[in-house]
Amino acid sequence: MTKNRALSRTLVLLGLATLPLIVPVGAQQFSERAKKIGFQLKCMCGSCSMTAAGCSHPGGDFSGPCPTAKGMLQEAEQHIAKGETDERVMQAFVQEFGTTVYAEPPKSGFSLVAWVMPTVYLVLGALVVIFVISRWVKKNPSETTASTVPARPIAPELLERAKKLAERATED
Amino acid sequence: MDVFGSFALLVAFVCAVYAVVGGIAAIITRHPLLVKSARQAGMATCGLIFLATLSLEYLFFTDNFSSAYVVSHSNRDLPAFYKIAALWSGMEGSLLFWSFLLAVYVLTVLIAYRNKNGELMPYVGVVMAGVQLFFLTLNNFVESPFKALASPGAGGVMSFITRADGNGLNPLLQYPEMVIHPPNLYSGYTGFTIPFAFALGALLARYPGEKWIHLTRKWAMIAWMFQSMGILLGAHWAYAVLGWGGYWGWDPVENASLLPWLTGTAFLHSVMMQEKRGMMKVWNVWLVFCTFLLCMLGTFLTRSGVVSSVHAFAQSNIGPWFVAFMGITLAVCLGAYLKNRDYLASENQLDSVISRESSFLFNNLLFLVACVAVLSGTLFPVFSEWFTGNRISVGAPYFNRVNIPVGLLILFLTGVGPLLAWRKTSRESLKRNFGWPLLTGLLAGGVGFILGFRGFYPLASLILCFFVAATILLEFYRGSKVIRARSGASFAACAIDLTMRNTRRYGGYVIHMGMVFVFIGLAGTAFDRDVQKSMQVGDSMHIGPYTLVLQATDSKPEKNYTAQRMMVEVLRGNKPMMMLFPEKRNFITNKENGTMVAIYSTLKEDLYVVFAGIDPDTQVPVIHAYLNPLVKWIWFGGVTVVFGTLIALSPNRRSVLVLAPAQQPATAEPLPQGVVASPLLREGHD
Repeated sequence: MTKNRALSRTLVLLGLATLPLIVPVGAQQFSERAKKIGFQLKCMCGSCSMTAAGCSHPGGDFSGPCPTAKGMLQEAEQHIAKGETDERVMQAFVQEFGTTVYAEPPKSGFSLVAWVMPTVYLVLGALVVIFVISRWVKKNPSETTASTVPARPIAPELLERAKKLAERATED
Repeated sequence: MDVFGSFALLVAFVCAVYAVVGGIAAIITRHPLLVKSARQAGMATCGLIFLATLSLEYLFFTDNFSSAYVVSHSNRDLPAFYKIAALWSGMEGSLLFWSFLLAVYVLTVLIAYRNKNGELMPYVGVVMAGVQLFFLTLNNFVESPFKALASPGAGGVMSFITRADGNGLNPLLQYPEMVIHPPNLYSGYTGFTIPFAFALGALLARYPGEKWIHLTRKWAMIAWMFQSMGILLGAHWAYAVLGWGGYWGWDPVENASLLPWLTGTAFLHSVMMQEKRGMMKVWNVWLVFCTFLLCMLGTFLTRSGVVSSVHAFAQSNIGPWFVAFMGITLAVCLGAYLKNRDYLASENQLDSVISRESSFLFNNLLFLVACVAVLSGTLFPVFSEWFTGNRISVGAPYFNRVNIPVGLLILFLTGVGPLLAWRKTSRESLKRNFGWPLLTGLLAGGVGFILGFRGFYPLASLILCFFVAATILLEFYRGSKVIRARSGASFAACAIDLTMRNTRRYGGYVIHMGMVFVFIGLAGTAFDRDVQKSMQVGDSMHIGPYTLVLQATDSKPEKNYTAQRMMVEVLRGNKPMMMLFPEKRNFITNKENGTMVAIYSTLKEDLYVVFAGIDPDTQVPVIHAYLNPLVKWIWFGGVTVVFGTLIALSPNRRSVLVLAPAQQPATAEPLPQGVVASPLLREGHD
C-alpha cells in the first residue's frame, strides 16, 4: 500500500514536472475565460498594439505574450478567481489603464458612435444613390424603344465612321 | 558627398519654385519660351533630386559615419542589399525617397507629353511642380537627410564628428520584401499625383473633350497597380516577419495605405461612366482629388504621431506642414471647382434602374463606405479624446466586424456589375447571364456546408467567390466560343485573342478573378488554428494533420546578427515530410531581435512555425505553430491582379483585326448567305 502510494506520488510529481513541456504555454497559464477577456483588451506595453491574449510582441526577446500582456492575463485570472463577471473584470482594467485598454470600442456611451456610423454611412449612401438613380431615370421618361424599332443593316460608311470614332476614343 | 547632396536638393528647390512661378506666368502670358523654360525647370528639378538620392545612397555604401542619417540607419556589416533599403528606413530618407519617386513620374510625364496636349500640359506641370515643391521644402528645411553628425564640444560649441560604426538598420526591415514593399507602396502614393495633376489641370484649363480623362485613367491605373502590390507585399512581409500568424492587423499605417486604394478603385470604375456615357464628371474629379488628399492624409497620420502604429518607422514633428499642404490643396481644388463647375456639366441620364450605370453607383457607394469606415475607425481614438477627454482604442476586431459585410457586398457586385448591360438590362439577359453562375455558387455553398463551412461569413464568401468566378469564366467562354467558331483555334488561343482585342474589358475580368482569389484566402482566416508549446529536443506537438518534432537547436553567427535556429521535423501521419528552420535573430549593433518564420505553404493551407524565443519563466524554447488555411490564394490573387492590370494597360490589338472579314477555316462551316459575321463590337468593361 505504502509502495503504491509512493509510486502514485512519484507519478503525480513527475506529471506536474513535465506538465509545462507537454501543455501549450497559453493553456498552461491562462483559462479560456481569461483569454476571451484578453482578446478584448489591448496589450498596454506601448509598442506592439496587439491584444493581450494575441500578443506576439514583434521585435521582442520573446514573441509573445510579452511580460505586460502576460501580467494583464494574470490579473484577469485573479479577478475571475474572485468570482467577478466579465464586465466587472473589463471595468477593473478600464479603471487601471483608462479607455485606451479596449481593443474595440464598447457598445455604449460615445463609443456607440463608432459602431453606428458605418451603418449610417451605408444607409444614407444607399438612399442618396437610390434618389440619384430615380432622378436620372425620371429625367429620361421616354423609354428606349430599341426593341420595337426594326433592325436596320449598318451602312458601310457608318461602320467606318464608328470604327474611326472607336479608335479615337481608345487612343491614349 | 553630403554637401553635394544637400546642394543638389537646394538647387532642386529653386528649380521647383521656378517651375511653379514660371509655369503660372506661362499660363497667363502664353509665351512659348516661358512654357518651355518652366517645363525644363521641372525636368531639372527631377534630375537634381536623382542626384541627391544617389548621393545619400553613396554615403550608405561608403559607410560614411559622419552623416547623422547613415549612423542612425546603417552599420558596416549591413548587407549591401539592405543599404539600398536603409534609404527609406527613417523619416528624412523616406521623404527624399518620396521626392525621388515623384520625380520619376514627373520626368516621365514631362518627356512623354512634351509635344502633346499643349494647352493642358502647362497646368499639369504647375500642379506637379507644386507638389514637388512641398516635398522639397521638407527635404531642405525640415527633415534634411544630409545633416552632419555633431556633438557639443568644449564650451557648448558643436563640433562635427565621425563615428566608427553606425547603429544599424531596424531588424524588422532586414527582410528581402522590405527592399521592394516600400518602393511599391510609395510608387502608389506618389503615382496618384499624376492623375491629380491631370484632373486639376484640366479643370483649371477647361480642357475641351474627354482626352484628359483617358490620360488620368491610365496614370491612375499605374498608381493603383503599385498601391495594390505595395499593400500585398506589406501584408506578406507582416506575415513572414512579425510572427503573429496574420497578415493584416488594421494598424493605422496599413489603414492609411488602404484609403487611397479604395477611392482609387472607385475612380477606376466610375471613370467608365464618364468615358462611355459622359456621366459623373464632378464625382470623378472629386474622387481623384480625394485619392490624392488621402495619400497625403495617410502620410500625415503615420508620421505625425497623431495615431500610434507598430509600423511607423519614421515619426517626427512634420504634422503641421502636412496639414498646411492639405489645406492649401483642398482650397485650390475647391476654388477651381467653384470657378469652373459648369465645365463639369454631365449628361446624367439613365434608361433603367437595372443597368451597368446603377451597379457602378452602388460599387462607388460601397468603396466609399469602406473608406469612410476605415478612416473614421482609424481617427476614432482622436475624436473620442476631443469629445470625451478619453482616448478609446479601435483595434482589429472592430474593423473586421465593420468591413467584412461591406467587402462581401463589393464581391457580390464584382460578379453582378460586369454582366449588366449599359443603359438597360432585360430580364432575359439577366437569366442568361446569371443562371449558371448562381447555380454554381449555390452548389459550392452546399458542398461547403457538407464539408463543415458553418459560419455565415465563410459560407457567404464561398458562395460569392464561386458565383463571381463563374460569371467571369462564362464571359471568357462565350467570347472565345464566338472567335473559335470563326477561327477554329483552341479555346486557350481564342481566350488570349479575345483578351488582346479588348484589353481593358478582359484585363478587368482578370483583376476581378484575382480579387476572388484574395477573398478565398481571406475566408480561410475563419478556420485558423494555433498551438504554442515549450519544447525540448525530441519533444513533439500536433496541429491539424501535422506532427512537429524538435530535432535540434543551434546558434549560427552571421556577419550582422546571430541566429538561434530550431530544426523542426514535420511529419504527416508517420511520414516525414520536411525540415523547417524557424529562427530568432539577435542583431549585434542595436541589440534588437527579429523573427524568421518557417512556412510550409500549399494551396490548401500554410503550416506556419515560429520560434517564439526562450520562455523567460522556464528557459525552454517555445514553438508556436499555426495552421492557416488558404493563405497562398491571397498572394496568388495579388499576382493575378497585377497581371490583369498590365493587360488592361496594354493597347488593344488593332480593331481592324476585329472588323475585317473573317478568314474561313477549311473545317469551319460557311455562314448562311446574307448573314454577316458579328464584328464583336459589344459594350464591355472598358
